[in-house]
Amino acid sequence: MTGYIIKRIIVAILTLLVIMTVTFLLMNAIPGSPFLTEKSTPEMIARANAKYGLDKPLYVQLWNYIKSYLKGDLGTSLKMQEGTPVSTIIFHQGKFELSLKLGLYALLLAVVLGIPLGCIAAYNRGTWIDGFLRVVTTVGVAIPTFVLATLLLVTFAVKLQWLPTVSGSLTTWKAYVMPVISLSFYYLCYVAKLTRTSMLDAINQDYIRTARAKGVKTRSVILKHALRNSLIPVITYLGPVMAGIITGSFVVESTFSIPGLGKYFVQSVLNRDYPVIMATTVVLSALVIIMNLVVDIAYKIVDPRITLTSKEA
Amino acid sequence: MKKTLAMLIALCMVFSMVFTASAFADEPFVVNACIASEPETIDPGLISSVDGSTYTQHQFENLMKYQMVDDLAADDPNMHNTEVVLGQAASYEVSDDMCVYTFTLRDDIFWSDGEPVKAQDFVYSWQRLVDPETASDYGYFLDNIVLNAAAIQAGEKDKSELGIEAVDDKTLVITLEAPCAYFLEICAFASLMPLREDVVEGNDDWTDPENIVVNGPYKVVEWVHDSYIRMEPNKYYYDVDNLGPDAIVWWLSDSQTAIISGYQSGEYSFVEDFPTDLIESLVESGDCFVNPYVGTYYLYLNCDKIPDWRVRAAMTLAVDRENIVENVTQGGQVPATGFVASGILDSEGNDFASGVSDLGALYNTLQEMYPDADLETYSGKCELAQELYAEAVEEGAWDPSTTVVYNFNTSDTHKAIAEACGADWKSVLDMDITLENQEWATYTNGLGEHKFGVARLGWIADYNDPVTYLELMVTDGSYNYGLYSNESFDEAIAEAKATLAGPDRDELLYSAEETLFGEGGFPVCPIYYYTSIYCMNGLTNVAFTGMGYYFFWYAQQV
Repeated sequence: MTGYIIKRIIVAILTLLVIMTVTFLLMNAIPGSPFLTEKSTPEMIARANAKYGLDKPLYVQLWNYIKSYLKGDLGTSLKMQEGTPVSTIIFHQGKFELSLKLGLYALLLAVVLGIPLGCIAAYNRGTWIDGFLRVVTTVGVAIPTFVLATLLLVTFAVKLQWLPTVSGSLTTWKAYVMPVISLSFYYLCYVAKLTRTSMLDAINQDYIRTARAKGVKTRSVILKHALRNSLIPVITYLGPVMAGIITGSFVVESTFSIPGLGKYFVQSVLNRDYPVIMATTVVLSALVIIMNLVVDIAYKIVDPRITLTSKEA
Repeated sequence: MKKTLAMLIALCMVFSMVFTASAFADEPFVVNACIASEPETIDPGLISSVDGSTYTQHQFENLMKYQMVDDLAADDPNMHNTEVVLGQAASYEVSDDMCVYTFTLRDDIFWSDGEPVKAQDFVYSWQRLVDPETASDYGYFLDNIVLNAAAIQAGEKDKSELGIEAVDDKTLVITLEAPCAYFLEICAFASLMPLREDVVEGNDDWTDPENIVVNGPYKVVEWVHDSYIRMEPNKYYYDVDNLGPDAIVWWLSDSQTAIISGYQSGEYSFVEDFPTDLIESLVESGDCFVNPYVGTYYLYLNCDKIPDWRVRAAMTLAVDRENIVENVTQGGQVPATGFVASGILDSEGNDFASGVSDLGALYNTLQEMYPDADLETYSGKCELAQELYAEAVEEGAWDPSTTVVYNFNTSDTHKAIAEACGADWKSVLDMDITLENQEWATYTNGLGEHKFGVARLGWIADYNDPVTYLELMVTDGSYNYGLYSNESFDEAIAEAKATLAGPDRDELLYSAEETLFGEGGFPVCPIYYYTSIYCMNGLTNVAFTGMGYYFFWYAQQV
């Protein structure tokens, strides 16, 4: 297992280098400049490019990025917070922490409610409970996040005034309610649907029939035998979702005025703030890689038959 | 017993009333405003946005300043106009040739760390702005105004050669290239605020709350990025005793839904930028007001892609501006009658946009050329448009099967305006248009490459003078994206820039704008004059300038 993890870390570093190169080439391929405004002139842009080394050949710029990343320096923002180190923006201003907190709570809600709802629907297959849950989860998957977020905002903040319109830095429990629900609802419904499908698949397997024939109680059949196997597709789904839930929190962060990383990630692309684009991409890619590793290890825990290395096989 | 009980209850009520009243009296007066999202910077030398300038105007004070006057900006009794008056300067003298201004600074002006404000602080900030090393968006701002500014920007001279000198701590001499009618207005501009060299130099974080040193009425005390900026009075400001709010919190949001929700729930007392479809109901409820805003929304008509001026004129005439402002933008905008925005004044104080005739510069020359045309009605304009277009087609100057590319940056409003214009051109001229939507950075890049047929832009005045608009169209100008070139227009602008304010200069500028919309012209199709739309609740004594800045220095609770 240790050897496997070390191997995965080496592969992760190489993957990040590839991601950096591709990101760098893509962001330089799209037109525009961080210094373009309604009132900027070509001369001003040229001067600004020279000031920040953007006039150098692309391979030199890329090498400079890699060198500074190896030293732990993520560069400085060119536009959105001009002159501020990107590491300060991401980590010290709490953006990453806020998005991570929001994402984790949303994920937690999706798992804690989604899996049981999926189990209930599968267990009550064909009944009105199953029908009701299927309608709710289908609506949940179909409804765009911005619609749900706006609906919650207008109902609970503007009309009823129970919750604040500005969630800000999420310092009170009330500030969490609407952003977490808005962010998690899609995933919650998707996890419920996924659990239901894989649970139904598992329920029809021979080992479940055997367990039932042996007189094992239904609850035990569901929780001990069926659920464990039906969780594998859910776990596969949850890995990338963790990173997606952070980058995808743009709409929620914007609607509830939360100064998180999701919003910053999208804005950095629109503003052509190259160092911020690069840093947010690398940080989020690292997160995806880590989550994929965690998922692989979780497979092993859920189903010991799964092998991680060829040696184990 | 009953009497005693009644007395006790009465006493309790009196105590509770007194207690409640004193609690309210002690409650700090905080203005919660939301005017934009996170500013790129609040460094005066680097700002280029209206919101960034607003924060700067609250934190710094220039030689001149915007002062609230009794006049109301619009129909809101709580919103006042401003005028430019002496700020950090106690007085000024102008030389006979109007090229040398000598300012004497006030004695009671201090930075927020208690140090006195000196003339050298102005010299430093002005030199810093024009220094190419600073790479400021407004580095060009003093070009051809203050001596050597353009040469310094071009890298031909050192910044120390800028025409600004501190004779002593309290005397500042500024030398101009030529007389400048709007120089005093420039002296209130946000990019030219004084700065302390020892605070700014070598410190990239100098605008952080713990480092910043200001000389204006308020000072940033807390900045949670992407969330809010909190300002409190600068105790060293000379008029600190008369300031209104105990704190101003600028909430930073880019979501129109979030902004208007914050206002409707009572969390914000002042907001700008909210969904246009709510404007009508908000105006009816008495929350929303419309201020005239010195800006023009216009379309570039590329002289390279649409080479015949009659086609460009026809396109300009065929746009139904009334329909756009009433049904598309719905924010009280005014249909444009020229390129220079309404609110820009001539030397006699007349609105330049309606200075010559009721028709406006957009139609004056055409009316002279085609006296029979009825340019007061939309149908009359369409008739002339069809005539001009047919002439161009007949002479082979324009191929009617050409499809013109209309570029705009991503926005529902820009898209709706593009569709409205496209529909007008199709119905009036039978002209085919392709709409191309691009996100901002790609879009602005494309403007400089001149690949479009039509492209939108808005221009907000930097100062109150027609030159701020007209010089955009000089040959090879950085913003002349439509590639217009007219020697007599260029000469008129150059002459006007070197002429003192007065009837002669007005005449030059009026005729220059008419040249722009005469034979060989129409490089732009002005659509409407901007308005500044805001919602305000519970505040009075708020001030506004047509450049788009709102001031809360002397705001009071209603």
